[in-house]
Amino acid sequence: MGWEFAVWATVLVPLLGSFTLPLVGLASKPLRNAWAVVLGAATVGFACSLLPAAFSGETHVFNAAMGLGMELTLVVDGLSVFMAIASSLISTLIIVYSLGYIKDYHYQQEYFLMVVLFLGAMMGLVFSANLILMYVFWEITGICSWRLIGFFRDRETVVKADKAFLTTFGGAVFMLAGFAILYAQSGTFNLLEMRGLPVSGLAVALIAAGIFAKSATLPFHTWLPDAGVAPTPVTALLHAAVLVKIGVYAFARIFNYTLALSAESQQWLMVFGLLSAMVAAAAALWDTNIKRILAYSTISQIGYIFMGLAAFNTVGIGGAILFILMHGLAKGGLFLAAGVIEHGTGTKDITRMGGLFQAMPVTAVAVLLCIFSIVGIPPLGGFFSKLMVIMGVVRSGNHAIAALAMFTALLTAVYLLRLFTLVFLGEARDHTVHAHHEGTPSMVWVVASLAVLSLLAGILVQYPMDLANIAVRDILGNPAVRDILGSVR
Amino acid sequence: MNPNILLVPILAPLAAGAAALVLPKGLKWAREALAVAASLLALAYAWAVFSAGGDGLRLFVPWTSFGINFDLYARHFPRFILLAASGFSFLLALYSASFMHQAWRSREYFAYFLITAGLANGAILANNFVLLLFFWEALLVTLYGMITLGHRGAHITATKALVISGLADFCLILGIVFAWTLSGTMTMSEVRLEPVGLGAAAFILMGIGAMAKAGAMPFHTWIPDAAVDAPLPFMAFLPAALEKLLGIYLLGRISLELFRVEMNGAMSLFLMTVGALTIVLAVLMALVQKDYKKLLSFHAISQVGYMILGIGTGTLVGVAGGIFHMLNHAMYKCTLFLTGGSVERQAGTTDLKKLGGLGRTMPVTAACFWVAAFSISGVPLFNGFVSKEMVFHGAAETGLLIFPIAAWIGAIFTFASFLKLGHSTYLGKPNAETPVKDARDPGWAMQVPMIVIAAGCVLFGLYSKLPLQHLIAPIFHGNAIAAEAGHGGLEFWHHYHGFAVFSVIAGISIGCLVVAFLLHRYGVKKAGGKAYLASEPVHNLPVLHTLYDLAEARVFDIYEWLVGKLLRGGAWVVWKAVDRGIDALYEHVMTFAGRVSIGVLREYHNGLLANYLSWVVGGFALLAVYLAAVAR
Repeated sequence: MGWEFAVWATVLVPLLGSFTLPLVGLASKPLRNAWAVVLGAATVGFACSLLPAAFSGETHVFNAAMGLGMELTLVVDGLSVFMAIASSLISTLIIVYSLGYIKDYHYQQEYFLMVVLFLGAMMGLVFSANLILMYVFWEITGICSWRLIGFFRDRETVVKADKAFLTTFGGAVFMLAGFAILYAQSGTFNLLEMRGLPVSGLAVALIAAGIFAKSATLPFHTWLPDAGVAPTPVTALLHAAVLVKIGVYAFARIFNYTLALSAESQQWLMVFGLLSAMVAAAAALWDTNIKRILAYSTISQIGYIFMGLAAFNTVGIGGAILFILMHGLAKGGLFLAAGVIEHGTGTKDITRMGGLFQAMPVTAVAVLLCIFSIVGIPPLGGFFSKLMVIMGVVRSGNHAIAALAMFTALLTAVYLLRLFTLVFLGEARDHTVHAHHEGTPSMVWVVASLAVLSLLAGILVQYPMDLANIAVRDILGNPAVRDILGSVR
Repeated sequence: MNPNILLVPILAPLAAGAAALVLPKGLKWAREALAVAASLLALAYAWAVFSAGGDGLRLFVPWTSFGINFDLYARHFPRFILLAASGFSFLLALYSASFMHQAWRSREYFAYFLITAGLANGAILANNFVLLLFFWEALLVTLYGMITLGHRGAHITATKALVISGLADFCLILGIVFAWTLSGTMTMSEVRLEPVGLGAAAFILMGIGAMAKAGAMPFHTWIPDAAVDAPLPFMAFLPAALEKLLGIYLLGRISLELFRVEMNGAMSLFLMTVGALTIVLAVLMALVQKDYKKLLSFHAISQVGYMILGIGTGTLVGVAGGIFHMLNHAMYKCTLFLTGGSVERQAGTTDLKKLGGLGRTMPVTAACFWVAAFSISGVPLFNGFVSKEMVFHGAAETGLLIFPIAAWIGAIFTFASFLKLGHSTYLGKPNAETPVKDARDPGWAMQVPMIVIAAGCVLFGLYSKLPLQHLIAPIFHGNAIAAEAGHGGLEFWHHYHGFAVFSVIAGISIGCLVVAFLLHRYGVKKAGGKAYLASEPVHNLPVLHTLYDLAEARVFDIYEWLVGKLLRGGAWVVWKAVDRGIDALYEHVMTFAGRVSIGVLREYHNGLLANYLSWVVGGFALLAVYLAAVAR
């Protein structure tokens, strides 16, 4: 199987397959559910089959003219393959979890269509090396998330869905203006032909607005906690796996991989990452809604990823890329556990819960492991990614930012332990809130496996790290990125 | 020798810990036997590593990029600590097997215990910063887990311990990253830095991480809480023994090897100040405690002060004394906690008010207690005396008299509080309030560890040449500090024991003990013979009384005000002002602006043809003007 076939399959199987789901669903629901899992699993499989191409050290490019000066350019390298595997793997686990979660709700047909379409658009985005193509997939994910957040269709939910869509779309409009500036400068939308292009602060700011809006970063972040009204698997998909990582990927692909940013631009991007991390952590300490707390936690952790990328050196970028995977696993686990808890207790208010450890021990232990990973405690995977981000930030000369980032890690520990304590330990504070059992087997199984994956990703860190390093090596082709110790294996 | 044996002290307890977790609940004996066997295996290999000699075994396996390697290196210092840590792990496994047999969640206890032992051995042997952090920080997980085992409400203390230790560990991370930036290597044995500029920040941050692990102020506040909430062997295992070994070991490595602490330099003053404050403040807290375990826990903090003070002097005698004191402290404090466990288990309480006269019915426990109490108080012929003298000498050598004076003040109150503790527990008449009448000594599995370690205290006191020559002196092999002091520096101490040399410093120390004895007698007399009230005269001193009340109200608890007030308060302000402020922009300002502009547009779209026609004509007119202007 050649890499060209594999990359097309990775994109088109979920993208086109999603539209067959409602048709299959007309015939049989179990068959549709199975088909959705098959599509997800096939995407993971095709993405994994690109690994040899990524490890070969060459950048594989598929290029086809589309007429009207437009091009269809797909790029297969370490960065895109890493991102494709990380997000398709987590998305597929979420699809499995959805089978149990969504089984009693309306609009299941649309739900599965949107989730798989989302995955397909993500794959398209990851492999495109053309700004316009990227933008098209970018907006498809926006539309999918709009429908998915508004899944329950009541007024409040729809308003929140609109908020999410308008914020991310508003950012994307700025970003498009930024793309136009890049085009004016270089005469192409092809990122591969643009490498090493010095850009103005204005273009960086415009593109960053789009990235920050999509990745829910200060000051465009408030839609993400509000999007917690969506069904839990959707929030997990948005926060942990796909949507917010789109901005991160775009940052890595456009800013790290392609353009040559000025030192001031790099500095400002890092400051925004830090502010976002700190403000969101502060908010998470006070909110009482379990899904909103986790959403703030996501915003905060994305801030770390941006700090790592904005260090513009190999350690920071490697750490940030690793962070995408580690955070995806742990946060996915936390969100899905939140779904188990919400299903069991019928509330999202952590101040009303308590003592749930007895009823759901597996979920509780999984949550604790995921918390340790997010905080950055070994042997969980999050330790390595956070450490490398800090290393990158220090190496870029920003000692104060590194210190504040460590302080934010302490805040993270405090608010996540508060969450764990209020939900699982002590006595139930509200006696109407109690759970007798854990969720359905598919739900608990997925939560537990995400926790175990977080643990394995830490103990066997060399494997994901090797993969991340391939991505870093690709980025190193950009002269604006500083190599540290020449140490990428 | 094959360097792979370095893995055994790490992997054997880790594997046994994982096995203990999956063994069926009912197989209690199997789990306990596994814990004892695995820790014995680790000890045996630790001995093999220790006796391998030479520059030490090294196991180097490339792990991943950025200089992060799996690098274990058993040089003099680590292999001595490894032996000590493994020894304590074994004895405590034996003790726990009996003590925790009936306990709630004992399965988890043994799993956490073994994993802790393995991780600690890993942290000791690690020669790569990231590997060190990996083991060191993973201890947070088992720390949290072990404290929750105390009782259903213990998770509050567990969270406190995790957050405080986490804060210190994050300081350590930052310090290590700074050190890595300066030196360009993650391999600890290659790092040589000057503590100036960023190096000073690195030293202080790493020092905070190390000292906090050992329990120095102000990172100590979870320890007295844990004394009440956590299972007792936990206290003997972590705060008393293993965490002291780890923390002081790292502090020693930092100040001897990675950096060079000059006598009376800024870094030296920093360490000595922390040490002196910790000695005095914690011992004052210890003095007034009326609970066996809580009193011990404050001493576990206070004694760290001597070690830090010793290392901070930057003199050969002081540093060696600090490290020797760490070993001695681990021994006598472990014994003390174990006697506390015997009393709790056999008599049913640790409240001094309800204890008394146990010396008659629990002679073995009482004997072990007195040996350890004399050791910690620095009574001649016991091990604590030698190491404390060394610290006093080192502190006096710096010429800054405030530091030895602080150390002597600590010595007075240490002895006074142990006289109080021993008097009210073991002497006098049996107390009618003791829950269990006729309390007996515990079974052999709990006795053996107490007796062995207490015997060690006497051995190291009478024959201090043994540990000094074979354990402490090799650490300084090839070190600048030893070269400066010449070879006579430690040789003197090799031959030193009890009454061999009488110096002014020893005289003052012995005078301190006499003062403490008189203080105790006065207190008991004043309280009408009630020994547990012997400290009340000090408690009621004018200024101290207020300070004690404030401490009781947790005003000095870093966790209470940092996490409880500052962090939460600051977070509330940020949440309301920034996060909710920005959200208000979206929710109110933008929606309002949207509504207004829609209203305005709606106003003009009134459906009249004339209106639209005039827009079109106006538009054409503007276009015409523009084109005319451009075309020209």
